[in-house]
Amino acid sequence: MQQLLNGLFIGAIYALFAIGFTLVFGVLDRLNLAHPAVFAVSAFVGIELVEVAGLSIWLTLPIVFVVGGILGMVIERVAFRPLKDRPDAHFAGLISSIALAGMFIALLQWRYGPDTRRFPADSFPSTTFTVFGAQVTVVQVAILVISVVLMVALTVLVARSRLGRGMRAVAENPTAARVLGINVDRVTMTTFAISSALGAVAGALFAMNVNSAQLTMGTAIELKGLAVIIVGGMGSLPGALVGGLLLGLAEVFAVQYIGSSWRDLVAFGLLFLILLVRPQGLFGARKVREV
Amino acid sequence: MFSESTLVFIALGAIFAYSFYAVLVAGQLSLGQAGFASLAAFTGATLAPAPDDVGDLPALLIAIVIGMSVGAVTAVVLGLPTMRLRGVFLAIATLAFAEAVRILIINMEWTGGAQGMSVPKVVEPWMAWAILAIVAYWFWRQGNSRYGRALEAIREDELAARAMGIDVGSHRLSAFVSAGALAGLYGVLWAFFVRLLAPEDFGFAKAIDGLVTAVVGGSTAFFGPPLGSFFLEMVPEVQRAIGIEAGWIRPFLASLLMLLVILFLPGGLASLLPRRSQKLVLASSGDDAGSLTQRVHPAPGETVVQLAGLGKDYGGVHANKDIDLHVTGGEVIGLIGPNGAGKTTLVNMISGLTRPTSGTAEVLGLQPGRAAVHKIAAAGVSRTFQHSKLFARLSALENVMVGGHLVSKPTFLRRLLWLPSARRDEQQAARHAASCLERVGLADKAGNKASALSYGDQRRLEIARALASDPSLLILDEPAAGMNHVEADALSDLIASLASDGLTILLIEHNVGMVMKTCSRIVVLNFGEVIATGTPEEIANNPAVVEAYLGSSESEDAS
Repeated sequence: MQQLLNGLFIGAIYALFAIGFTLVFGVLDRLNLAHPAVFAVSAFVGIELVEVAGLSIWLTLPIVFVVGGILGMVIERVAFRPLKDRPDAHFAGLISSIALAGMFIALLQWRYGPDTRRFPADSFPSTTFTVFGAQVTVVQVAILVISVVLMVALTVLVARSRLGRGMRAVAENPTAARVLGINVDRVTMTTFAISSALGAVAGALFAMNVNSAQLTMGTAIELKGLAVIIVGGMGSLPGALVGGLLLGLAEVFAVQYIGSSWRDLVAFGLLFLILLVRPQGLFGARKVREV
Repeated sequence: MFSESTLVFIALGAIFAYSFYAVLVAGQLSLGQAGFASLAAFTGATLAPAPDDVGDLPALLIAIVIGMSVGAVTAVVLGLPTMRLRGVFLAIATLAFAEAVRILIINMEWTGGAQGMSVPKVVEPWMAWAILAIVAYWFWRQGNSRYGRALEAIREDELAARAMGIDVGSHRLSAFVSAGALAGLYGVLWAFFVRLLAPEDFGFAKAIDGLVTAVVGGSTAFFGPPLGSFFLEMVPEVQRAIGIEAGWIRPFLASLLMLLVILFLPGGLASLLPRRSQKLVLASSGDDAGSLTQRVHPAPGETVVQLAGLGKDYGGVHANKDIDLHVTGGEVIGLIGPNGAGKTTLVNMISGLTRPTSGTAEVLGLQPGRAAVHKIAAAGVSRTFQHSKLFARLSALENVMVGGHLVSKPTFLRRLLWLPSARRDEQQAARHAASCLERVGLADKAGNKASALSYGDQRRLEIARALASDPSLLILDEPAAGMNHVEADALSDLIASLASDGLTILLIEHNVGMVMKTCSRIVVLNFGEVIATGTPEEIANNPAVVEAYLGSSESEDAS
């Protein structure tokens, strides 16, 4: 039971991280490899806010959300927009976002040094619950609730709102969307902002969950995020949610029954299986090739 | 400034970047190279005899042979199931493979686990550079060979490449296997230079390094990877030399430079160097030019296309329904009908790009939909596309040379050995392409990039490219779109002269006047069905056709 819950908590963070990844891919058909850097930046910013400004950890989340949004706009403006008409925009976007990510991480190193950082000792509420015989902290419950709420909110936003309609129109056909009066550049930028904001919250939550932040934390989750969006189906929001939870659970049980050194293989085994058996992912729609 | 290790790392980085270049030229993004390199490094270092027993160089060479074989075989095993994946999916699948390899090696006994294994240092700078020179030579010779052009065509437009008779699957796999072998080569060289071989040497960061080196250097010119490697190795060296020491500034500047290169130099660093454009050797010998066209076309009366009850459904929508059509040698068939009548779907089925949902089709003895597209093309079916599907970044001449893929001879291996016959064959292919360009009136634009041509010229280039494969059945999908009257008349004359050469032609066109003038028989489609067939006169006087085009008198009243 304890394992099941632990798997859910970590899975919720994977899902929240991956949903930002998949949003950009689904709408814009671009893989933003600066996403993991946003994840890391926000963890450090969160810790700084608690440590220096003395904010409660709950207050840091909305701030981190905004910071992430701003980073998202920077990423779009600097690394993606200048490339959009290039024939090799796919590869070029990968490289430019990797480059930008490298700059973010270098700046982090400048500000905070290369060492692992932690929240101040008394920043977490010490209340714990017992659920079905398992120990659960307030922070863990909050992680699960916040992640799920954000993901549901995003799904509703995409399905119902005017902005969401714009996103789906751009995903279908950017040129047609532009002709129909949608401001494609603004929709694109907003998509990046939302995506990065979610990635930022995921980063802060992750730092709370393990109470540490390292410069390399983005790289570790990046591969898992990629696995999650493939397993769930590229561009599928519910797919990312289910895929993230599934991966979290699978990892925890792999550690339990196979051994911790094999934990990281789970993600890739799952991913490979899906690519071979059902390349469009659990929730993805197969795209019909056009002639 | 050039320490021994800097020199070796520049060469090694370039070799690794070549393993990315090998697939990037074919438009594939693989990130599995670190996995190939890792497997090759550990097997090579384990199985090769000790340098103390057999000498440094023999030991290294044996390890290289082992490593490259391991890399190539692994690429085949990984490639067979994954080659149908495209773009980012392939990248992530191969990345997953590389990570899985890393974790496996960490957990194995014989590799020394996370500590790794110690390997004698054998590689000297001259060895690394000699090997780099061989690899660079390989890709230099690949560039202008038939194989190299086919890969570039696949990168630019996979579907069009297929329709030109290129076996896309095997070309992609061979590119992937060469990437595997090169990554294996890199892995072994790395192992025999760094003394301590660890699984962490071949992580995600390494794959990204290789990709970045290839793209920053330039993935469309063979000298790109060494340039990229030199640049990326020298950035930290220069920084150290001018005294920038703070830990964060170095990665920051390196990333910034990378960003600037990718944003402002689309072709990578290689685009900074002037590139000698391919010289057109079109001098004399008009006799040779014709020698690539040797196909015996079906005689008048012989069946070229036989369709019976052919249909295609998309969901509940019938794009085509119950099409019966019999086309014989030398006919010029006009296919007309309102927009959305199913004309393009029909020719897609005939050329094998779309699989019919009902009925049977036989084209030049093959069954399109069952036979692979490139086999249909090899049987003598060639086509243009309604929306230009040219190879945008290739020159007009290169486009047409790709069109001649089926009738020209493979030249890559002979080019490696610098055989004169390869040069002759290349020139013959170029002359053949030039004669096709001349036939459509584009001879003076042979060196222009396809994407830089005007719309009408692009339509003509499509025709020249289709002609280059010496087809028996030529399918033209709205070739006159965007042409003025004079150009359309010239096209009409061209079609007539092709028909007199014995080609069978299927012409989709909205310019009804042109169809009436050019075609021997006209087929009219509406709502996916054939509503009339006959000679131009019969069609012009057919009430059903007039109704389809102008609307019935009743519906006109209603509006």
